[in-house]
Amino acid sequence: MPGLFLFDPLSIFFIFVIAIVSLPSAVYSVGYLKGGGSRFATTLSWILLCLFVASMGLVVTVNNVIAFLVAWEIMSLVSYFLVIADAKHERSVQAGTIYIIMTHIGTAFLVAAFMIMAKYAGSFNFAAIKSACLVMPPQIKNIIFLLLLVGFGTKAGIVPLHIWLPYAHPQAPSHISSIMSGVMIKTAIYGIIRFVIYLLSADTAWWGILILILAIISCLVGVIYALMEHDLKRLLAYHSVENIGIILLGVGLSMFFLSIHLPYLAVFSLIAGLYHLVNHAIFKGLLFLCAGSVYKATGTRDIEKLGGLIKKMPQTAVCFLLGAMAISALPPLNGFVSEWLTLQAFFLGAFKVTGVSRLFLGVCAALLALTGGLAAACFVKAFGITFLAQSRSRHAEEAKEVSLSMKVGMYFLSFLTVAFGLAAVPVMRLLAKVAGTATDVDTKGVIFSLNNFIVNPLAEKGIYLSPLWLALVLLILGAIAFALFLLPGRRKAVSYSTWDCGYYQLDARNEYTATAFSKPFRIAFSFFLLPYRRTQKIRESFYHVKSFVYETHTTPVFRKYGYAPVLALVFGIAKSMRRIQPGSIHLYLSYIFVTVILLILFMGRFH
Amino acid sequence: MDILITIAQLIVFIVVSPFISGLISKIKNNIRMRKGQSIFQPYYNFFKLFAKGEVVSQTASWIFKVTPFVVIASSLAAASLVPALITSGPSFFLGDFLALIFILALGRFFMALAALDTGSAFGGMGSSREMFISSLVEPAVCLVIFAVSLQFGTTNIASFSHIHMVSISSLAAVAALFFVVIAETSRIPVDNQETHLELTMVHEAMVLEYSGRSLALIELASYIKQMMWFFLIAQIIFPIALPIFGNGGQFFYWFLWYLARILIIAIAMAVVEASVAKMRLFRVADFLGFAVVLAMVATVCAILGV
Amino acid sequence: MQGIVLFGVLACTYLMVIAKRMPALIRNFRYQSFFLFLATFVTAFQERQIDLYIIAGLLFVLKVIAIPYVLYRVIKRTKVNEDLGLFVNAQLSLLSALGLTYLSWILARHLVAPVDRVEVSTFTVALFMVSTGIFLMILRMTALAQIIGLLVMENGLFLLASMVSGGMPFFVEIAIFFDVFVSVVIMGFFLYRINKLFTHIDVNKLSRLKG
Repeated sequence: MPGLFLFDPLSIFFIFVIAIVSLPSAVYSVGYLKGGGSRFATTLSWILLCLFVASMGLVVTVNNVIAFLVAWEIMSLVSYFLVIADAKHERSVQAGTIYIIMTHIGTAFLVAAFMIMAKYAGSFNFAAIKSACLVMPPQIKNIIFLLLLVGFGTKAGIVPLHIWLPYAHPQAPSHISSIMSGVMIKTAIYGIIRFVIYLLSADTAWWGILILILAIISCLVGVIYALMEHDLKRLLAYHSVENIGIILLGVGLSMFFLSIHLPYLAVFSLIAGLYHLVNHAIFKGLLFLCAGSVYKATGTRDIEKLGGLIKKMPQTAVCFLLGAMAISALPPLNGFVSEWLTLQAFFLGAFKVTGVSRLFLGVCAALLALTGGLAAACFVKAFGITFLAQSRSRHAEEAKEVSLSMKVGMYFLSFLTVAFGLAAVPVMRLLAKVAGTATDVDTKGVIFSLNNFIVNPLAEKGIYLSPLWLALVLLILGAIAFALFLLPGRRKAVSYSTWDCGYYQLDARNEYTATAFSKPFRIAFSFFLLPYRRTQKIRESFYHVKSFVYETHTTPVFRKYGYAPVLALVFGIAKSMRRIQPGSIHLYLSYIFVTVILLILFMGRFH
Repeated sequence: MDILITIAQLIVFIVVSPFISGLISKIKNNIRMRKGQSIFQPYYNFFKLFAKGEVVSQTASWIFKVTPFVVIASSLAAASLVPALITSGPSFFLGDFLALIFILALGRFFMALAALDTGSAFGGMGSSREMFISSLVEPAVCLVIFAVSLQFGTTNIASFSHIHMVSISSLAAVAALFFVVIAETSRIPVDNQETHLELTMVHEAMVLEYSGRSLALIELASYIKQMMWFFLIAQIIFPIALPIFGNGGQFFYWFLWYLARILIIAIAMAVVEASVAKMRLFRVADFLGFAVVLAMVATVCAILGV
Repeated sequence: MQGIVLFGVLACTYLMVIAKRMPALIRNFRYQSFFLFLATFVTAFQERQIDLYIIAGLLFVLKVIAIPYVLYRVIKRTKVNEDLGLFVNAQLSLLSALGLTYLSWILARHLVAPVDRVEVSTFTVALFMVSTGIFLMILRMTALAQIIGLLVMENGLFLLASMVSGGMPFFVEIAIFFDVFVSVVIMGFFLYRINKLFTHIDVNKLSRLKG
């Protein structure tokens, strides 16, 4: 009887990811929870936090589908309670409701998939299921794959199942958002790797292609919505949708390569996906913690009301900048390495396949590049509007740097964004083991030499990337430029106000706003965002316009055209059902009576 | 030895790149039947700015101050990756063709932040437009790299620093890359380097608050970036191998061709700039969409092997 | 003996169907329960089983004394009109009851072997009681009728269990007794609350509560 737990490299890797985000978040929460709510509420949130982390740990280590489901449900429920922790706000409860409904729909699909697997295996154990999957008919495998994809996709927030994510993540307390966005949605990726790649051994080509298509859509939709968003935490939540897409690109590619028997490339792609997974956990955790600090200091999450915080909260600003640079894939931070690896996986794959597949991979890579460009734009907006220039409101002006425990949490994760960028080679060596376990490929053929790596059997000419050298070169070149700058001469710097066209009253109202910043994108993507605006002139007289109201909104396409019709249908049916519910107890009793009679008659038919 | 050549390449880039900019400007003006400024005007500008004091906005933070160094470092790092003087060496271990996109993105990111930092509406406008254009540029560049590297089987830049067949795919890729370079070097019809009109400017709006040595560094960085793109285009469409130093006459022809190909690209750029009108910002999306289509054509050609 | 008991139960049930006022309903329920107690006691005496004695005792204490007492108290406390409020008048109710009896008889003949006449008639009466319980719950307006209806159904099931299959297991029986008692207490309390809030106990008017 094998134990209930499984500690192969894949599980250990996920435990590691859980730990590196949960620990700093827990430290951070000491300062974050201070001064908010009663002692009881604080204690409760600590207990829930511990339960939450423990349940995630269980999800990634159990060895049995039933235990997996139990842990999965505990995780979902505890995170639901954490989302509605701030139950005074109507929005929290609403967000929690959307979350719990979506997550349970997902779980229902998982249960179905697990039951089919268990039926074929005759056991709930992973090992038994793995051997049963080898002899399973392909149609059944396809069905299981689709069920698993919907089930895990809901948790991961793949478009169009992402609907809950931008509501639930921002509404939770920030250290919880950090864990939810950094780690919890990754458990779904664990599920896909464990069940689809490891157990079902991903031997059908269209599975990988389907995941690639969904992933690339998630990337684009996530980042475009993020660009339109002015709520700092919701913006980050949309970026989670995008980054899950990037992670899934690696995973999907790996499945695709497995199915066409390119094992080394499969390992390489999975390394890229896993690398981005741990990176996203780090920088998204960091960004959520920073956003929480901003919220704590100013009491608002609307970036249109912020500004100038780099002078009020310099340390938070540095941490946020590092996170923003990492998520925008700027060298030499960690996001750069993993995004480069993902792109490289596409390229390496394209060298090996032929025909239309090549074009498909190329287009995917181009769309990934587009996503990267849009993400950079979004974080220029997020950092620039929040931290730079002048404060746009009194709250932002009176902001103070946050307490030590919160800073410690942020510093730790900031350090990791740098460390995981520079130490790419050792990290990749470790990830190769993980990916090797998941795909059942011997990874000895993948060679990593010092500070660069060569995927040996594939590219004879070698592909190099050395973030460490790159960082060093950038540093040296910057230093030379700085030395040039310091050359003797007339280098007196005068401090003066920004040029204001002779207006002499340049203040925060003249600054570019986030809405204005994102306008080119709103217009360029108007076919998808369907923006509409409302303008109104408030006049004193015909000649004098006192003020001007300008509102612009984008249409939430998925909610309006996807979910709303379904909900309307459900409510419509419910309404017509209400006609047989007049509220009279007598009538209800007679319903029961009639039902009993009918049941007796029904039974009589079969006797 | 390799390291010395790499450093030499960087020095050549620093020294020569303003000249290329001055040259384009001169050709452009001559096409417009104007006398135009001196070819060496960028050098004069550089030294003038270098000798001047600076005005720094009161609202600006340290982001504004470090940006010139980040921008020039990223431009130079990108320049060190291009096979101009060297075809192998330590700089090629830094990264590959793909890494180039990311390195340039670093400078652009800081440039856009610095533009927002001063609190001026011009800066915000420039920053927003620059990020908009650059995000549309990225897929085109990526597809170009894809098409090119499909022919070589690797994204290692050193691999196409040899003589190779120029295929239809390369031509299409270069056409796409040319469009990209127009956008990247802020030239007409995407941007206009010559005006400070708030309705049209993109790059100039971002650097509006810079002065003195900071501005000199930023300008230099954009010259270097431009030269780097020109060398990439040249290497794809006019491939050239290492010089043969032994034979004097052979070396002379090699060197002539080496310079001429850059000149051809510069002239082409000037002709394009002089003959088209500036586009509205939202037409730029169509313009770069055309570049993406060209890059797709290049990819398809590369897959078909032509 | 069984014949007498069955006749008594049947008569009480008919009386309940035609009862127009609450005290009458409760009184008849008490008589019905008393007949059941009699039957159980006799069986216990014949079989000399201590369990049955206890059950009979409980039956007497709870259903003959305690529950009617509670219900009487509730009526007194609520001080409302003692009319039950009939949806169908007494005559029609009686006719329906006759119909139900006939239906029960048909069903009973289907379910048990028609040779055993005693068993068939017991079955008939028991089924009739269950259906009468539902009949009372559906076609009487006040909430008290619903309680009594439930109790009548329970009595019917008890009769069925004790006379046909020789009684349910001891603990189940005890548990059911307590269940019934507790539910009556709770429902009585609810009745009181409803009356206090709405000044009547006419459940038909509760339909106004729905959204």
